[in-house]
Amino acid sequence: MTVTEAPRAAAVEAAAAPSPSAPPAGLAAVVGSGDPRTIGKLFVGTSLLFLLASGVAGTLVGVEQSQSGTTEIFGADTALRVFTLHSTAGLFLGVLPLLLGLATAVIPLQVGATTVAFPRASAAAYWTWLASGGVMLATYALDGGPFGSDSDAVGLYVVALIAVIVALTVATVSVVTTVLTLRAPGMSLRRAPLFPWSMLVGGSVWLLVLPVQAAMLLLAFLDMRYGPNTFGAAGHLYDRIAWIFWQPTLYVIAVPALGIIGDIVPVFARRRHQRHKAAMVLLGLAATFGFGAWAQVSVTTDGSGSSPWVNGGPWQVVSVLAVLPVLGLLGLWTTTLGRGRPKLGTPLVLAMLSGLLVFLGIAGGIATAIVSLDLVGTTWMTAQALLVLIGTIVAALAGVAFWAPKLYGKLLPDALVRLGATLVVLGALVAAVPLAIAGSMGQSRFVAGGIDTVASGDVSTVETLNLVSAIGLGVTVFGALLVVGAMLVRRRGDGPGDDPWEGHTLEWTTTSPPPVGNFATLPAITSEAPLYDARYAPASSTESTD
Amino acid sequence: MATAELEVFSTAPPAPPARPRVLLIGSALASGSAAMVVLALVGQYARLRNDVIAGGSSWLPQEAHVGLTPGNMGMVTLTMSLVTVAWIVQALRNEDRTHALIAFAVTLLLGAAFINVTVFGWQQLGLGVASSTPALLIYTVTGLVVAMVGVGMLFLTVMAFRALGGQLTGRSAEGVVAAVLFWYVTVAVYAVVWYTVTITK
Repeated sequence: MTVTEAPRAAAVEAAAAPSPSAPPAGLAAVVGSGDPRTIGKLFVGTSLLFLLASGVAGTLVGVEQSQSGTTEIFGADTALRVFTLHSTAGLFLGVLPLLLGLATAVIPLQVGATTVAFPRASAAAYWTWLASGGVMLATYALDGGPFGSDSDAVGLYVVALIAVIVALTVATVSVVTTVLTLRAPGMSLRRAPLFPWSMLVGGSVWLLVLPVQAAMLLLAFLDMRYGPNTFGAAGHLYDRIAWIFWQPTLYVIAVPALGIIGDIVPVFARRRHQRHKAAMVLLGLAATFGFGAWAQVSVTTDGSGSSPWVNGGPWQVVSVLAVLPVLGLLGLWTTTLGRGRPKLGTPLVLAMLSGLLVFLGIAGGIATAIVSLDLVGTTWMTAQALLVLIGTIVAALAGVAFWAPKLYGKLLPDALVRLGATLVVLGALVAAVPLAIAGSMGQSRFVAGGIDTVASGDVSTVETLNLVSAIGLGVTVFGALLVVGAMLVRRRGDGPGDDPWEGHTLEWTTTSPPPVGNFATLPAITSEAPLYDARYAPASSTESTD
Repeated sequence: MATAELEVFSTAPPAPPARPRVLLIGSALASGSAAMVVLALVGQYARLRNDVIAGGSSWLPQEAHVGLTPGNMGMVTLTMSLVTVAWIVQALRNEDRTHALIAFAVTLLLGAAFINVTVFGWQQLGLGVASSTPALLIYTVTGLVVAMVGVGMLFLTVMAFRALGGQLTGRSAEGVVAAVLFWYVTVAVYAVVWYTVTITK
């Protein structure tokens, strides 16, 4: 059953051999670490803290919008800046690094590698991201941010955001290269688990989209500092950023989330993933449709920006087609569960709820693409972004709960995680649905006027909807706090064992937590689920998977 | 005698698996991302120019002079470097250190010549960065290509030291191939910039 690769064993022995100098301990061990599990956990932990800050900012802005003209938490100018903090921190300091952290820690284990392809680059990416993210947030205190009035602070914000994007790009290169080059012998790409595959296809599109965002920011910065200051002016700066929250670019962010769900469902269904290769194709399609850099807000000579592609034919077609892969994946997961013997573990509950949120967000894009509904530029799109991004966060939390034995050597407290994540999901729905209704009533995106653009007869209704939405976001933040608390507490007592869920893929063959070098030996890999093969060999031979 | 040799082979450990092309694949991904930065700006340049011309205005200010000579010389220089970087790889595969050294030197010289001719083009342009939107875009786009050429030269230099130090020769010249791949991408990106800015203006 086991095939030991001589160089791998030698590498593990060499890594485990005592060093002539004392190994670093404490903070030095963390700061100087090139261990992907350490780097991944740092990414996950820090990004969750940034997400909490982003959620609090969003809640406060929602309260501000609940009573036009009377409730003044910040004042209009500051509220705009807090909103941009909520959105940009949520994505660049929250969702993307959360997924990358999980990928950095887990994917080497899933593909049977001893480490990531570029461990030092991953470590450098984390520390650059952390420092730049800190500077980015600090500029808000200096009157910076996209709508800030201090040009130096605004410039510093842009440079910090570019550095954040560069760091995320480097971390993505490391993960994608790991999937492409460091798979264990026998693991062809078609036998790769769905999370690594989703990072390969989704991450590849990130590598094409994130640099476009960086280029637009660079142009805005140069225009602001050295140019005629048109499209880089503070009032227009957010146009250079906001398109990444719009469909179809928004959808590619969620692709790794779909991969996480795809790895969790079959384990809890106690059955091989239904049509694994079809799922890979669907993930590839989801990533392809999510390449939306072409549909961004173009610069104009007066700086106002235009969106020539939005509402155009290709944009409408992609908006509709993007739903199909997600629908197909939901169908495969339902079939897998239906034909298996499901056990209702917390990761499965979270995974299915997150799949539902992502699907709702992407399905909402069909309505956005119907020009006669006039939903482009309204809070309908804000609601879509909330559903997709929070759905992605919940999938990542499902992944953290699922792979906690490998990350932390312990399981997370089941009840606390389930309660917290359920609150996150409910809060997301309560936050998004009223915003969608308000958007259909004509409320523009917050940066385009928000409640001030609503017809006078509808203002009180929209105010109520905004208040409900703010409460929903608050519930989401509270739920996220519970999950973070669960991660800090962890489950008491002995370790969970090497394979507490009866997993299907390679990470469950090693100890919890894994040793240096991850694996001493690897099983023979003849399918996408080698452990499932070993466990249910006679039964699985009669199953039809493709 | 023959039997003894066979016995030795049968007890020898299995050959190690082929070294995965980690650096090459990583460089390819990073090169693609770097290219997207410049291509995104070229797209904005073309779109903005199209809008301005469609509005009946002139894209470039009267005093602007986007000379064909510097742009063409830059393109010719980088095209020649395509041959020299291929020469580097071939020389290293043949373990021919002298040829590899000459090819490295010529490539770096061509890179420096490209930077020189681009800076000369900027001096001829007759526009300050702050003077207009087209000027800002021209400086940004061409400046980014200069930066890519600089990174490519640095990458090649590092790999040259390693190769000539004996680490990257023969079939394991992957690091050099990675640097050469980045160079190819840079030249391809400049070809797009050259056509958009110098030829069609």
